[in-house]
Amino acid sequence: MERYLRNYDAISEEEQAALAAKRVLVLGCGGLGGMVIECLARIGVGHLRVVDGDVFEESNLNRQILSSTMNLGRAKTLAAKQRVMAVNPLVEVDAVQADLTADNAAELLADCDLAVDCLDNIPARLILQQAAKTAGIPVVHGAVAGWLGRICVIQPSEDLLNLLYPDPQESQGEERQTGTLSFTAALTASWQAAETVKLLLGKTGLQGEILEVDLMQAIVRKLKIS
Amino acid sequence: MIKVNTEDYPWHAGMTVRALLDEKLFTFRHIIVRVNGEFVPEEDYVSTMIQDGDDVMVLHLMAGG
Repeated sequence: MERYLRNYDAISEEEQAALAAKRVLVLGCGGLGGMVIECLARIGVGHLRVVDGDVFEESNLNRQILSSTMNLGRAKTLAAKQRVMAVNPLVEVDAVQADLTADNAAELLADCDLAVDCLDNIPARLILQQAAKTAGIPVVHGAVAGWLGRICVIQPSEDLLNLLYPDPQESQGEERQTGTLSFTAALTASWQAAETVKLLLGKTGLQGEILEVDLMQAIVRKLKIS
Repeated sequence: MIKVNTEDYPWHAGMTVRALLDEKLFTFRHIIVRVNGEFVPEEDYVSTMIQDGDDVMVLHLMAGG
């Protein structure tokens, strides 16, 4: 298919067909989620369930690719669906205008091969980790603060977020002071998308490791979790 | 010698978690410290001694999306 010509041979035609049959849950359609959705739609993941309870605000414009001066006040999930339809109508989008909670998590994860954590607060991220463990699917985690980004893959048998967020009462981290920059979100989200595609295709990705990116220092560091 | 985020770093007698953080310029307000895998709460940074050969992990607490 001409649409996917430039995907080959980085991924094979068989892998392209496999991606079309995959279902991915993207939680959060903000700085990370918008770019993850963009990447997964363009590469040809067949089914995306996109979840966010928020509407766009002016303060989102510095980094959130789905936001524009034209859609302030409108649902982020609606923008996500419209964007995917414009970019790749072969992708089926299930847009859910809701926040992730312990009550709706199982329903949101149902039938998905994988979840991408693009959330913006610690309690919701921990809810996702637990729900994905119960559902038996991996989570591709991403988080940003200022010039810093972090990516890791959480298998159902692991609790990596407990290492990253030792105090479940805490809601936010460094980003409260540092804010979030456009390129940090885009880079971190792109890395999440790459790990997502690798997992979907059964390729070796991050395993028991945390990837940290410091764009100010121009450093990428891979930390092994023992 | 100790490990700090997988990299070698010279150890010296009397090194506390607080001293190491200051030496390495970990100045962010929200960080997570683990010594040999054990979480060290912020209130214990001054009293927690780092031993030669320890494996120290210092992570920024970040959750922005």
